[in-house]
Amino acid sequence: MKRLVATLLLILVAVSFGFSQTKVVVDEWKIPFLNCLTGPIAAIGEFLQWGANYAANEINAAGGIAGKPVRVIPVDTGNDPQKGSVEMARIVKDNLVAMGPVPEPVILAAMPIAVENQMMSITATTSYEYAVQFFPWTVSWFPPTLDRLPPLVAGWAKQFSDLKQVVQFIEPYGPWPGMADAHSKALTSLNIKELKAIEVPTDAVTFGPLVVRALDQKPDGIILVCNAEKAAKIIKELKSRGWTKMNHILVFSSADDAQLYSTGGADLNGVQVYNYLNLEVSNPRWDKFKAAFAKDHNGQMPFSLSPNYYDALYMIKEAIEKTGVTGDPKKLKEERKKIADYCANVKGFQGLLYEWDMKDGVPTNKPSYIFEIQNGVKQFVLEVRP
Amino acid sequence: MQVFIAQILNGLSIGSVYMLLATAFNLLLLVAMIIHFSYPQVVVFCMYIIWLVLKITNNNVFFGILAGVCSAILFNIVSAPLFQKIMKNREEVDINATMVLSMAIGWIITDVLSHAFNNGLPIQFPEEITGSKPLFRVGLISILPGQVLALSIGIIVVAGFFILLYKTKTGRAFRAIAEDPAGAKLVGIPLVKTGFQSYALSGALGGLTAVLLIMLFHSASPGLGEQVSHKVLAVSIVAGLGNLVGGLVVGLALGILEALVQGYISGNWSNAIAFVVMLVVILVKPRGLFGVKV
Amino acid sequence: MPLSLYYFLSITAVNILMSWALYVPYRVTQLHFITIANMMISGYLAGYLVLHAHVPFVWALLIGFAVGGIIGFIVSLFIGDAPTFSVVIVGFTSIYITRTLVENLPIIGGTMGMFGLPNIGGNPGTHRWIILCILYGLVILCGFLIYRFDHSSIGRAASAVFVDKELASSLGIDIKKLGMLLQTFSCTLAGGVGVLYGFIYRSFHLDFFSFALIGVFMTVLFVGGYSTQWGPLIAAPILYGLPLFFPPEVQSWRIVIYGLLLILVLELKPEGFITRKFVHSLGLSFSQKREKEIYIKEEKQ
Repeated sequence: MKRLVATLLLILVAVSFGFSQTKVVVDEWKIPFLNCLTGPIAAIGEFLQWGANYAANEINAAGGIAGKPVRVIPVDTGNDPQKGSVEMARIVKDNLVAMGPVPEPVILAAMPIAVENQMMSITATTSYEYAVQFFPWTVSWFPPTLDRLPPLVAGWAKQFSDLKQVVQFIEPYGPWPGMADAHSKALTSLNIKELKAIEVPTDAVTFGPLVVRALDQKPDGIILVCNAEKAAKIIKELKSRGWTKMNHILVFSSADDAQLYSTGGADLNGVQVYNYLNLEVSNPRWDKFKAAFAKDHNGQMPFSLSPNYYDALYMIKEAIEKTGVTGDPKKLKEERKKIADYCANVKGFQGLLYEWDMKDGVPTNKPSYIFEIQNGVKQFVLEVRP
Repeated sequence: MQVFIAQILNGLSIGSVYMLLATAFNLLLLVAMIIHFSYPQVVVFCMYIIWLVLKITNNNVFFGILAGVCSAILFNIVSAPLFQKIMKNREEVDINATMVLSMAIGWIITDVLSHAFNNGLPIQFPEEITGSKPLFRVGLISILPGQVLALSIGIIVVAGFFILLYKTKTGRAFRAIAEDPAGAKLVGIPLVKTGFQSYALSGALGGLTAVLLIMLFHSASPGLGEQVSHKVLAVSIVAGLGNLVGGLVVGLALGILEALVQGYISGNWSNAIAFVVMLVVILVKPRGLFGVKV
Repeated sequence: MPLSLYYFLSITAVNILMSWALYVPYRVTQLHFITIANMMISGYLAGYLVLHAHVPFVWALLIGFAVGGIIGFIVSLFIGDAPTFSVVIVGFTSIYITRTLVENLPIIGGTMGMFGLPNIGGNPGTHRWIILCILYGLVILCGFLIYRFDHSSIGRAASAVFVDKELASSLGIDIKKLGMLLQTFSCTLAGGVGVLYGFIYRSFHLDFFSFALIGVFMTVLFVGGYSTQWGPLIAAPILYGLPLFFPPEVQSWRIVIYGLLLILVLELKPEGFITRKFVHSLGLSFSQKREKEIYIKEEKQ
C-alpha cells in the first residue's frame, strides 16, 4: 500500500513537472525600442537601431528566442518627452520588456511609467546616475561615474610627465558636469592642478573666445566634456591657435561618436579619447558585426554605443530562455519580474566584445580603454579594468 | 593685451556671422516685405547644396558657389508667394503670421537635412573652399582667411546694398514694389521683371552668405540655423527692422559682446547677458537703435 | 483608465491651456513667449517645495500660480504696451536667463533634472485622477473666464487694439493697462500649468521647457484659429493625437508633415480653422436669433 501511494505520488510529481515545463505561447517576441530616430541625435539613434536590428536578425537566423522569432519594433520618440510618455504608456499595456528610451529628457518622462507598471526597459546608453533612479526596472550599462572615470583619466594623465595643469571644457548637459567632477577627482589624486573650467554654451557655434580663454591659462593638457561636434570644433580651434601636443587632449566618451570624426577629420590625429569599445578586439561575432556595419555605413566603423542595444537584446534573449518566460499574457507581471531580476544580476553575460557581470543592476567588471585617434581610426593605448 | 585683441578679433568673427545673416534677413524684408525668421535655416540649406555639388564635381569651387547662389535664389522665388499671400495688408508687415510660416519652413528644412543628407551627421567642407591655414598668427591671435573675407565682404555688401537700395533708381523700384505693388505698377515699374530681380538679389546674398559661413565654420549641421536664428532676429529687431547699417553695427557689436563675456566672465551666461543687453536697448528704444526702415 | 489615454488627455490639456496663455495676450497682438519661462520657474519651484521642503502639493501649485502672476505683472509694467518685437525679445531673454539659472542650480537638479516627485494622493492611480481633474478643471475655469473676457467690453477693446492700435488709443482705450491685465493673466496661467506639467511626468528636466514648446503652442494657436478660444481647444487634441496614429515610417517624418500642414493652413485659412465668423454662424444656426433674422428679412421683402 505504502509502495502504491509512493508510486502514485511519484507519477503525480512527474506529470505536474511535465505540465510545468515552459511552453512558449507567443508566435513572435515583440520588443519595442524607444529610440531617437528624429531630432538632433537622430544619427546616433540610427546606429543604435541598426545594432538592435542586426542582433534580431542574428538571433532569428540561429533559431530565435526559445524557438520563436524576435522582432524589434522601432518607436520614435525624438527628443520629445510628450511623445515618449505616450509611447511608453502604450507599451506598458501588454509588452513583456522594452529597450530605451535614449535621450535623457525622454528617459525622465517615460521611465516612471515603466517603473509604475513594473516593466523593465533597458536604457543602455545613459549614465548610472540616471539609470539608478529607475532601478530595478532598468539596468545601468555603466558603473557609477565617480568610480568609473577617475582611473581612466589618471591612466591618461600618467602617460605624460609634463602634465602639470589641465583645463576642462564643460558643456552643461545632463550628467556631463558630474563626469567633469569625476575627472577632477583623478587630477587631484595625481596632484595635477585643475585650471578654471571653460563653460561651453549649448548653442555655441564658434569657439574662438573659449579657446583663447583656455589657452591664456597656459594648460599642459585639455579635457573635452562637450558634445562631439563641439569637441571637434574646439580641437580645430586649438590647432589653429598653435596647440601641438595633440595627445595631451582627452575627449570624453560621450563625444566619441560619428559627429566627432565627420567634423574633426584629420585635425583629430593624435587626440586621445576614452571609451568602452575596442575596435581592435577580434572575435568572430564582433568581426562579423564590424563588417556588416561598415557595409551598411559606407565603410564607417561602429562607434562606441553601437553594440549597446545589440547586447541588450541578447541579454533579453538570455533572460527569457534561462528563466523560462513563456510570453503568456496571464503571467505578464510575474514574467516581467523574472526578466528584470535576471538582468540585474546576470553572471558571465557574453557581450559582443567581452564578458561581464551585473550586480544589482550595475556592471562590475567592464573594461574601459584609452585610444589615440589616427586618420579617423582609434588605436589602442591603454586598458583600465575596475 | 594680446588676449584682449584676440577676443576682439573673435568677436568680429562671431559678429560677421550675425551681420551677414541679419543683412540677408533685412534685404529680404526691404525688397519683398518678408520677415523670414528662419532665414538662417535657408542659408544652412544652401550650405548643404554647396557641399553636395562639391562632392559631385570633385571639389569644384566655382560650381559649388554657383549652386549655392542658385539654390538661394530658387528658394526665394518659390517661398516668396507663400509669404505674400498671407500678409494681410501691404502698409504693415504682418509679423505674426509670417513668423509662424517661416517657423514651419525652418522645421521642414532642419528635418529634411537631418534625414536626407549624410545620415544627419555634420558635413565638412574641403580645404579648397575653407582655407583653414591662418593668414596671421602671433601667440593667441590668429586670423583665418574666412574671417577676413566674411568681415570685409559683409561690410562691402552692406555698403553696396545701401547704395543700391537708397541711391539708385533700381533700388527705389525694388522698394516700391515691396511696399506698394499697385502703386509701383501705376508709375510704370515692370512688376514681374523687377520682382524677379529683387528675389534674385536677395537670393544671391543668401548664397554668398552660405559661402562665407562655410569659410567661417568649415562645417555645418542640420541644427546650425536654429542655433543662430534667435540672435539674428534679435539683432535685426534691436538694430531696427530693415536697417542695413544698423544690422551691421549691432551684429558686430553683439559678436564682440559675446566674445568678451565668454572670454572674461562666463560661457554659460553669455547668451543670457547678450539678451539682457538687447532687451534693455529695445525697452529704451522700441523701434530699434537705428530706427525701422520699413 | 488606460495609461496612454491619461497621458494623451493630460498633455492635451497642457497644450490647450498654454495655447490660451498665448492667445490672451495675442488679442492685443503680443506674442508673449515669457510664458515658457514662467512654466519653468514655477514648475521647478513647486518641485523643490514638494520634494525638499515637503510642502503639500496644493500649496505648491498655488505658489506656482502666484509666482507666475507676480513675474507677469512686474514684467508687464515695462512691456504692457510694448510693440510685438519687444515682447518677443523679452520672451527669448527670459527663457535664456531661466535656463541658465536652472543649469547652475544643483539644488533643483541642475543639468541632471529633478527626479522622483511624489505621487499626489499616495498612489499612482489617485495621482493621475487628481492631475486630470485639476487640469480639466482649469480648462473649464479658464475657458469660462476667457469666454467672459471675449464677450465683455474689455474683449471688444482688445479686438479694437488688434485691428488698429492707434485708433483704439484715440477712442480712449488704455492700451498699457489692457496689456498688463492680459499679460498677468497669461503668466499666472502658465505658472500653474508648469507645475502640473512636471507632475504629469513626476520629474523636471530643462528640455521639458525648450524653445520647441513655443513651436508646439504657436502651431496649436494658429492652426486652430487665433481669433477665438475655440481654435486651440479643437486643434490641441487633433495635432497631438494625429501623429500617434502614423505608421513608424511616416512618424519619422512627422515634423515635416507638421510644417507642411501649418503652411497649408496659413495659406488657405490664414486665421486658422475656427474663426470668429465660423463660431458666430454656428451660434446663429442653433439660436433663436436666426428665426428672428429670417422673419425680419421676410418683412423687408
